[in-house]
Amino acid sequence: MKHRILRTALTGVVLASTGVIAAATNASADGLGATKLTTVNFVYDFPGPDMELIPIVVGQDQGFYTKAGISVKTLFPASTSSTSAMLATGAGDVGFITTSDMADAVQAKVPLLSIANYSMTNNWTIFAKPGSKLTAADLKGKKIFSWGDTWTNTMMSFVLKHAGLSANQVTIVTASNDTPLLMNGKIDFDTSTTNYAVPAIQGADKGATPVMFTGSQIGVPNIPIWVYAVTKAYAAAHPATAKAFLSATLAATKWAIANPAAAVNDFVKMYPTSGYTKAYSTTGWSLTIPLLKNSSGKFFTQTSAQWSTLDQGLIATKQIKTAPAPTTYYTNAFVPAQ
Amino acid sequence: MSTNELLRLEGVEKRFGDTVALQESSISIERGSFVSIVGPSGCGKSTLFNVVAGLLKPDKGDILLDGVSVRGKSGHVGYMLQKDLLVPWRTVLGNITLGARLTRRVSAEDRTQATEFATKYGLGDFLNHYPGSLSGGMRQRVALMRTLALNQPLLLLDEPFGALDAQTRFEMQQWLLQVWRDSERTVLFITHDVDEAVFLSDRVLVMSPRPGRVVDDLTIDLPRPRTLETLTSPAFTALKATILQQLHRERVS
Amino acid sequence: MTTRRLLKAVLGPIVSLIAVVAIWQAIVVWGHVPSYIAPRPLAAWQAITQNWSTLWPLTSWTIKETVYGFFAGVVFGIAFGVVMAKVPFLAKTVYPVLIMSQAIPIVALALPLVLILGFSLMPKVVIVAWIVFFPVTVNVLDGLHNVDKDLLTLSQVLGASKWRTFVVIEIPGAITPLFSGLKIGATYAVTGAIIAELAASSGSSLALYQHAQAGQLNAAGVYGTTILMTAIGMGWFLLTLGAEYLCTPWRRRSVARRKWRGARTISAVSL
Repeated sequence: MKHRILRTALTGVVLASTGVIAAATNASADGLGATKLTTVNFVYDFPGPDMELIPIVVGQDQGFYTKAGISVKTLFPASTSSTSAMLATGAGDVGFITTSDMADAVQAKVPLLSIANYSMTNNWTIFAKPGSKLTAADLKGKKIFSWGDTWTNTMMSFVLKHAGLSANQVTIVTASNDTPLLMNGKIDFDTSTTNYAVPAIQGADKGATPVMFTGSQIGVPNIPIWVYAVTKAYAAAHPATAKAFLSATLAATKWAIANPAAAVNDFVKMYPTSGYTKAYSTTGWSLTIPLLKNSSGKFFTQTSAQWSTLDQGLIATKQIKTAPAPTTYYTNAFVPAQ
Repeated sequence: MSTNELLRLEGVEKRFGDTVALQESSISIERGSFVSIVGPSGCGKSTLFNVVAGLLKPDKGDILLDGVSVRGKSGHVGYMLQKDLLVPWRTVLGNITLGARLTRRVSAEDRTQATEFATKYGLGDFLNHYPGSLSGGMRQRVALMRTLALNQPLLLLDEPFGALDAQTRFEMQQWLLQVWRDSERTVLFITHDVDEAVFLSDRVLVMSPRPGRVVDDLTIDLPRPRTLETLTSPAFTALKATILQQLHRERVS
Repeated sequence: MTTRRLLKAVLGPIVSLIAVVAIWQAIVVWGHVPSYIAPRPLAAWQAITQNWSTLWPLTSWTIKETVYGFFAGVVFGIAFGVVMAKVPFLAKTVYPVLIMSQAIPIVALALPLVLILGFSLMPKVVIVAWIVFFPVTVNVLDGLHNVDKDLLTLSQVLGASKWRTFVVIEIPGAITPLFSGLKIGATYAVTGAIIAELAASSGSSLALYQHAQAGQLNAAGVYGTTILMTAIGMGWFLLTLGAEYLCTPWRRRSVARRKWRGARTISAVSL
């Protein structure tokens, strides 16, 4: 899972206090054309920028959005749970959130609608230290790190069910940073997504690769983690803009996949104070790329099954009481033809 | 040394750097007497007190209390300032017995004696009161009780009534004389007020600065007990005039 | 304190509390605030009562962290204050370090503590103590420095040893400022416990529960746990205030409670 607010605070205490957490607007180049550009306020899911933002950055920097007649401004929420609220109050138009966050928001009567998958596959993983002899069968009685976010909570319910364990047969710990604890043996297992944890561990231990358990090894379903979302009202009022946003983002995503080094450079240029090294962002983006297409080679397209499977985990962890019909969560109407 | 002498300063001198705060002085204080010291600031009266109390060690000379040297030693005199220095967290009784608390422990005798003092001198109803609720005059009485409590023969009082209004001050002066008479102690009393010095004392020492020293030593042979009439008697006025002239002379020179 | 005086004392705070709840309700209802942004007061209350069986164990842990950390902080705070007041050389060298310690963000502090102390109660107690000790030290130091110099002179003239002077004059004289420091520390102790829980939790904790509620956009849960945290802070502050009332009777009474009865027998005799 993403390293949350506390990691940023730790790796860049100074950075945190110099306003990464505040709403930062992207100084995107646009608007000297003859036609007026439609503004789209894009809200990220984390108080600071990281490499998953690269498609948006490329879209702004390489002119994809301008060509599509829109100007995208990136906003950062004050905390990891603010994105849904910002969309609901109109402070943001398009948001980047996890599917679990979105389903929780819908349960709390925030009328969100997912318009595209960001990633297609579940790269949430349980990690052990490089060189560890632990296996996926060794969870009982161990200390497992969790960021306390909705996605990790949901995945852990699948993991425990698969292992036949109850919640008090493992010790879930939360702290402000996971990597040092894993490397120092204070926790037995870490939980995160590969594209964030692997570069962090490699950065901490000179390129060493952690031991990883994922997918069917630990009983978690292969459902997408992150989506692009809008409010139902916005989708009804601005269908053309939504379509334009997705088609430009698709072009930018493809460009960033084809030119990873240049894409990372764009990110570093736009957010020099992000707190992430270029090496981290390069590794992270290279691990993100394989997640973005489904088995048919398509981007963005969603299924009802992904949402109904998600709801099972959400009900098991008591995050939602009842599962609505999956079709109320999403639409593929704005996804460009591929 | 006469057996009637309680305190003797022999050739006591104290300097602070280049300043001579107290020039080589020899003074004898008779047991049971009431001696006032008057003089402008810098005349050495506070230095004199501090040397006698043991807070300062003289550069030259010795201080003998009842024939025993108390040079640089403390704990042998009663000491009272303009500030009553009552501690707010102890009751009147607790403040009177503060000396015992600081040096040994407060015994039942200490408490009984304190109660007797207080009752005799009008504070009996206030023994369990905290000082915060008392008037300025009453607080000074408590302070005097505290000063008497350890039964030291010599009391040093440094302008104890300076902060009180004129009427309260007169009451306190008469009260002090009564207490002094009852307790048979020896009192050294510093004051700026010449009236007060003449009214209270058997003897007035006039001091002068640069260097600090005693320049005059007057015997006050006014009859006791001293009353309101004493204040306006010709003898009183003559003594007062002498002292004032002395002080003026020193100021001008 | 008589019943009547007690009632008068609590009337003010009760009225404020009612006013706060009323204003809260008014804003949420008339401002049409969505339930995922801010709940109605009743919803927040129900979030507590309906989940009490989950919340009570978490709350009791937070209380333990607050209380243990507070006492640890007070002990160290007083120790630092006394040592610095009595050894000026140490004051010059130690004081700047203590000030710097307060500039370190708790979050940065938490990780090394977890690495050393693990995930037990200890790192949280240390963090709370870290926050609590500083106001106590400053107040003890100032209290000891502000003792009337003439009183110290008097003590010396009376022949008291330095130790006696310290115990009889300086320590009691510093009690009032000490309680100022204790009240500040008591208020911030629970804040420290919450930050510590976020930064170093094993199993669940009140702060993590709130974090999860926030993630689920359950504003009633967030506000409900906030009410619990506030209650802990206020409760602890009131207990400290009560201790102050017990320890400093001279500030409110003119006559001591425990009376010396000998006065009666003396007056009877002298009459």
